[in-house]
Amino acid sequence: MNFKYVGFVILAIALVLIYIFINPSEVDFLPKCPFYFTTGLYCPGCGSQRATHQLLNFNFKGVIAQNILFVVCIFILIYHITITVLNTYFKKNYFNYLNHAKTGWIVLIFILVFWISRNIPCYPFELLAPK
Amino acid sequence: MEQIRPKNYLVESILVTMCCCQPLGIVGIVFASQVNSRYNAGDYNGALQASKDAKKWIYWGFGIGLVFMLLLFAFYAAMFFLGINQGLFNEF
Repeated sequence: MNFKYVGFVILAIALVLIYIFINPSEVDFLPKCPFYFTTGLYCPGCGSQRATHQLLNFNFKGVIAQNILFVVCIFILIYHITITVLNTYFKKNYFNYLNHAKTGWIVLIFILVFWISRNIPCYPFELLAPK
Repeated sequence: MEQIRPKNYLVESILVTMCCCQPLGIVGIVFASQVNSRYNAGDYNGALQASKDAKKWIYWGFGIGLVFMLLLFAFYAAMFFLGINQGLFNEF
C-alpha cells in the first residue's frame, strides 16, 4: 500500500464530508470562482461547488438549478471511467466515444453557448445562472 | 504504419473547465479536440504536439486555480485572525 494513495483517499473523504455538511452559498471561506471574482461574469463552472453540495445531499433539483452542465459533466466522467475500467481490467475493446474526432468540438460548442447564454440577464437564460 | 493514439486529455480539460472555473480549460478542450482530428487525418506528429499542448494548458489551469484558491483561503484566514486580535468574537 502506497502512502500517496492513502493520502488521496483521506483527502477525498475530507472533501466529501466538507461538501455534505457545508452549504457553499451560506459560508465565505470556500474558494470562489476566480473568473467571477475578477470580472463579475459567470464562467461555465460557476455553481459547481453548490451543485456538489446539492448532489451529495441527493437534492437533484438543486443540482440542475445551480449548473445544468455539471450534470452532463458527471455523466461524461462516469462514462469515461466505466469504459476505461472495462477496457483495462476486463480486456474488453469498447470504443470510447470521447476519442471520436467530433466529440471535442461538440463539447467545446456546448460549453461556449452555455457560457454566453447564462450571462444574459433575462428570463429563459436566467435559469442557467447559479443561484 | 499504425501509431497509437496520443492521450487526448478531453475529460481532464472538461474537469478543469467545470471545477477549477478556468477559462484556460477551454483552451485545453480546443487542443484536446485537435488531437483526435489530426490523428484521424493521419497527422501523427501534429496530434502528439496537440496532446502536449493540451496537457500544458490543463496543468497551468489547474495550478492557477489551485494557487488562487489557496491565496483566497489564506486571505480569509488572515481576516479571521485579525478579527480575533481585535476582539470581534469576544461577545460569543
